[in-house]
Amino acid sequence: MTWRQTKDAPFFVGYLNAVPKTLVMFLGVFSVCFVAGLGLAALALSSTQNDPGAGGFQWGNRFETAGILELRPYPVFRVPANEEAPARTYMLAGQGKRGVFNQAETHKGTTVSIRGVPVNRGDLTMVQVGRVEAVEGETAEFSPSEAVPLGRWKLAGEICDGKCYAGAMRPGRGLAHKACADLCLTGGIPPVFVSSGSVENRNFFMMADQDGNLLGDEIKSLLALYIEIEGEVERLDDLMVFKVDLATARILK
Amino acid sequence: MSVQYTPVIWNRNKIFYDAVLLIAVALYLYIFIRVGPMFEDVTKPIDGAILRMRAFGSCAFLMLTVILCIGPLARLDRRFLPLLYNRRHFGVMTAGIAAVHANYVLTWYFNFSPTDRYVALLNSNTNYGQLLGFPFEALGIAALIILFVLAATSHDFWLSFLGAPIWKALHMSIYAAYTFVVLHVALGALQGPADPIFTSVVAASVVLVCGLHFATGRMEARRERGEATAKASLQEAGWVVAGELEEIDDDCAKVVTLTEDERVAIFKYDGKLSAITNACAHQNGPLGEGKVLWGCITCPWHGYQYNLADGRAPEPFTEKISTYRLKLIGSTVLLDPNPQPPGTYVEPVEIGEAA
Repeated sequence: MTWRQTKDAPFFVGYLNAVPKTLVMFLGVFSVCFVAGLGLAALALSSTQNDPGAGGFQWGNRFETAGILELRPYPVFRVPANEEAPARTYMLAGQGKRGVFNQAETHKGTTVSIRGVPVNRGDLTMVQVGRVEAVEGETAEFSPSEAVPLGRWKLAGEICDGKCYAGAMRPGRGLAHKACADLCLTGGIPPVFVSSGSVENRNFFMMADQDGNLLGDEIKSLLALYIEIEGEVERLDDLMVFKVDLATARILK
Repeated sequence: MSVQYTPVIWNRNKIFYDAVLLIAVALYLYIFIRVGPMFEDVTKPIDGAILRMRAFGSCAFLMLTVILCIGPLARLDRRFLPLLYNRRHFGVMTAGIAAVHANYVLTWYFNFSPTDRYVALLNSNTNYGQLLGFPFEALGIAALIILFVLAATSHDFWLSFLGAPIWKALHMSIYAAYTFVVLHVALGALQGPADPIFTSVVAASVVLVCGLHFATGRMEARRERGEATAKASLQEAGWVVAGELEEIDDDCAKVVTLTEDERVAIFKYDGKLSAITNACAHQNGPLGEGKVLWGCITCPWHGYQYNLADGRAPEPFTEKISTYRLKLIGSTVLLDPNPQPPGTYVEPVEIGEAA
């Protein structure tokens, strides 16, 4: 078959219901191939998607604990050790793409009870705060430990928003998620550095600038990219904090 | 053909076309959203909204690929012409599927925030200066706007209102939309963790669309060279040699290229010859690749018809196209390269014994 119309070649006119028989056969085969091809493409694309990880909301495991709210520089919740577990430090987020700076400013340094839902991925836990209430009594005597410096490190990895990466979205990393991460950080959710190498067997680091202050718009161009960056690492109970020197940041790919 | 505008003039072929399309799209979405995840090797399922976002987005991409292949396929092999007949429905459906994809993006990635979702969409990533991390959403928005404009102007009312050249030029922006979509995917989804299947599908789409257009371009160039006899041939007082009678099948045409933009279709029918412009008044369809049915030239794309002698659509239709004068010397057909005003009657040439 070519483009040329010849006397004997079938000629299709759309508004005539009668379609030449040879064309009916051809179009029937094409229709089956088209439908089957799309079906196979859907199966191939859908069944081979990358694993978004084990992170997610722990809806059946409601978080309700007393501890101290601090700004380091992002809101964190310091929980004293008990008979079952050592002291812990949790990163905090609000509902949706919101942080909890207002509550943390109001209650910083004081003992409060936080009720919320944990979002957990491995040893990264972010608490989505539902309610914050002041607490009085023996728990108020708790004094959190100071940060333990772990030296200067050069780490390679990705800057994510801590909540989505922890599992609020699956997947919650990568360039397809960059704008969402940007929006989360703007809303006050702590940035997290997901390192390909570990420090004391930990790969997740809450970020701050090299002086321990909040990071600003300067990290936006680095967000969701595979980068290399240097900074001081310190441990706050079980939470690692990476105080990054943005001048050393380099995009690897 | 119609003398009044109605939303859709349904016929059996259009219904069949749309039914196949709907079945294919429904099957794609069902398998992607319901069946595929059963075979996934994941620790925890992908978010439902993200899964649907990917299903609709990839579906729109594949549909756009097929749409862009229909044109060159129909040029290379006329059995694909029926796919062209109702292609606008394909396009409108693609715009709809792409809109659902965009809606999932908007109500998932850009939702749950104190920032208005439309403001967030345009504001949250403004790193236009970098390639990796480029706000690929903007490319998707550009493609979606084009698809919407094309879908909204796909009706014949707009073709008539804007005129065929402007309408045609406007609808060529489908190539810009495809380019934006490919970049949208390349700078977005393909930058995530390695996904060889999706990468292969995107690469195959680009190779297929470019390859088919390249092959069609080469074929057209060969045709132009083969039919350039008119330009380079013997001339007699302003006439050009169009070819020999035996080259034209009954009720069919020979197409003669006069210039890059001007082709003439010379039809042989009922022992006579008539010449008209090769471009249909509807969508510039190649009339010379059509056929004479019921005494009228019939366009192979949408079946628009014209009388052979005067280039006028039979009443009550009003379309008119240019006609050309012919002369027969022995069995050689001569053509006056100057077009007559659209709708001008030109006496058909009787073939007589030369036939």
